[in-house]
Amino acid sequence: MKQVKYIVMLALAVGLAGCQTKVEYGNATAVETVNENFGSTDLQEIAAKMVDSMLTFPPVVALTAHDRPIIFVDKIKNKTSEHIDTESITDSISNKLLRSGKFRFIDMTKVDAVRKQLDYQNNSGMVDPSTAIHFGRQIGAEYMLYGNLSSIVKSNGDVKDVYYKMTMRLMDLNTGLIEWSDEKEIRKTKEKSFFGL
Amino acid sequence: MKLSRHLVIIGISINLSACAFSSVFVSYPSHIAPIKNQLNQASNTDIAKQLAAGINTDDGLLYAQEAGRVAQIEGHFKASQDYYQQAIRDYQHFDDKAKVSLSDLGATGSSLLINDNVIPYRGPGYERIMLHQYQALNFVFEHNYEAALVEVRRANELQQTEQQRYQNSLKAVSDINNGTIDAEVDRLSAAAGKTTSSYLNAYSYYTTALLYELLGQPNDAFIDYRKAAQIAPDNRYIQQDLVRLAKQLDMPQYSDFKRRWGTAKSATSTQGTVVFIVEKGFVPTKQSITVPFTINGNWQTASIASYLPNYQMVTPTTISGLGQPLTTAPIANIGALAITALKEDLPAALARQAARVYAKSRLNQSFERDDNSQSNAASVASLAIQIFNVVTEQADLRSWLTLPKQAQIARQYVKGGQYTISLNHSTQSIQVKAGHTTLVWAIDTGNYTYFHSIII
Repeated sequence: MKQVKYIVMLALAVGLAGCQTKVEYGNATAVETVNENFGSTDLQEIAAKMVDSMLTFPPVVALTAHDRPIIFVDKIKNKTSEHIDTESITDSISNKLLRSGKFRFIDMTKVDAVRKQLDYQNNSGMVDPSTAIHFGRQIGAEYMLYGNLSSIVKSNGDVKDVYYKMTMRLMDLNTGLIEWSDEKEIRKTKEKSFFGL
Repeated sequence: MKLSRHLVIIGISINLSACAFSSVFVSYPSHIAPIKNQLNQASNTDIAKQLAAGINTDDGLLYAQEAGRVAQIEGHFKASQDYYQQAIRDYQHFDDKAKVSLSDLGATGSSLLINDNVIPYRGPGYERIMLHQYQALNFVFEHNYEAALVEVRRANELQQTEQQRYQNSLKAVSDINNGTIDAEVDRLSAAAGKTTSSYLNAYSYYTTALLYELLGQPNDAFIDYRKAAQIAPDNRYIQQDLVRLAKQLDMPQYSDFKRRWGTAKSATSTQGTVVFIVEKGFVPTKQSITVPFTINGNWQTASIASYLPNYQMVTPTTISGLGQPLTTAPIANIGALAITALKEDLPAALARQAARVYAKSRLNQSFERDDNSQSNAASVASLAIQIFNVVTEQADLRSWLTLPKQAQIARQYVKGGQYTISLNHSTQSIQVKAGHTTLVWAIDTGNYTYFHSIII
C-alpha cells in the first residue's frame, strides 16, 4: 500500500515538473520541423533558390550589367490546400533582389495609399503647390515577376507525403517574352509515431 | 483497497462535476434542441454564442462545428469561419496523434467505467468533408475566392480518402474513379440498400464542382460534377452541368452525354445564371435504446445509439419568380450518410459496451463482498453503485445536428435585373447580372427560410 502511495507521489511530481511554460529565443534560419505544413524553412529555401537562380542566369546578368531594370511583383497564386501567406514569399524574394542592387521595384500593394497622398498634396489646398508631387511622374515597370505555388498531398493515415512546387517567371512587359523561369521543389514526409500522448 | 475505491469515486465525481456542457449525463441532442428551435424562430440574437462555452470541453470539435454552422445559417460568415477554423485545428490535432496515444487510452479507460460520451468527439468522414465544404462557402460569401479554393482542395483530398476506403468493397465507388456514370449499377445496389449515396456525399462533390466552375477552373469542375453524377445519377441539373462543361471543354464524352441528356444550354450574352442550393430540415438525431438487466441480483443497463426508421419524405422545392416555376432536384440525404457512419462505428461501440458491463458488474461485486458485515453503510454503498451504474449508462448520441436533412439544387438562366423569388412561402429579392452567376443559398429550418446570395 505504502509503495503505491510513493509511486503516485512520484508520478505527480514528474507530471507537474513538465508543466512549466518556457520561452526561448531561437535561430530564425534554423530548420523548422514542427509539422508537415508549409513553414519558415520552406519559405527561406524557396526565396534563396529563386533569387540565386535569377541573379546567375546569364541573360538576366546581361540585362542588369549596365542598367537596373524596374520590376513589379504580381501576387503568387496559392494553388495548394493550405492557407499560405504568399505575399510573405514575394516580400522575401523582392527584398533579396532589391538588396542585390541589380533591380528596382514598384510596390503595387501601395498604389492606393500613394494615390490618396498625391490627392491630398494636390487637391486638399493644404500643401504648398510648389512642393507638391504631381500626378503622372512615376516610372512604369519594365518587367513582371509572378508565380504559382502548388502542392500534392497524399496520406494513408500513417504516412503523409506533401510535395510543394513553386514556379516563378519574369516577363518582359514590352515584348511579352519570358526572360527567366525556374522552379523549386520541396518534399516532406511525416510518419505517425507509434506511441505518444 | 477501501482507500483506492474511495479515490476512484472522488475522481469520478471531480471528473463529472465540470460537465455543464458535457454529454456524459445529459444527452447531446437535448443540448442542441433549443438551438435548433431558436434558429427555427429566427430570433435575431447571436445564437452561436450560446455554444461557444462548449468549445473548451472535450467535445470542442463538435461544438465548434455546430457553432460555425449556426453562425453560417444566420449569415455571420466571419464568425462562422473562426468557429470552423477551430474545428479544423482539432481534426488536425487528432491526425497528428500517435497510433497508440496515452490520452486516447485514458479516455477509453474511463469510458469503461462511465460511458462512451467521455471519449472526445471525433466526427465521421462525411462531417469533416462538409466542414471544409461549408468553410469554402464562408470564404466565397466574404469574397475571398483564393481561400475558398484552398478549402475546396482540402475537401477534395478528404473525398479522395473516403473514396479509397470504400472502393475495394463497392464496385460503384470504384467506378467513380473510372469516370463511368453507370446508373444501372447504382439502381441495383439501391435495391440492396447499398447505394453509393449512403457512403459518399454528392452534395460535397457538387459544391466543390460549383465553386471550381464559378472561380474559373472548369476542368476541375468537370471532374467533380462527374463524381457527383455517379453518386446522384438522376439529378437533371448535374446532367445539364456535365453536358455544358463537356461541350465547353471539348471533352470526348460530349457526344455520349448529349445523346443521354440532351443538348447543352448556356446563358446568352444578356442573361445571367442563377444557381440555387436549398437545404431542408435538420439531420435526424440518434436515439438511445436501453436494455435493463440484472447480474447477480444487481441492476445494470446497456444503452446503444441507433436511428429510428423515418419514412417521412423530403419534398422537392418549387421556386417561382424566375419565369417558369423551377423545381429543385435532391442531391444528397445527409441522414443516409449519418446512418452509414453509425453502422461502421457499431462494432467498436458494442465491444466497449461489453467491456463496460463487465467492469461495472465487477464494481458491484466488490461492494457486495464487503456486504458480509451486513452493515448499513455497506449496503447503501452497494445501492449507490447500482444507481451510479444505471445513471451513467448513456448511449453516445453525439453527431453534428445542425446539418441539413437534405440538400437540393436548381439552376436557371434569366436576363439581368432585380427579381423577387418565392420559395417555401418566403420571398427574397435577388440581383442578376448578365454574364455573371448569382448563387442563392436557401436554408429551410422548418418554419423559417434563411437566404444568402452573392454575385460571382
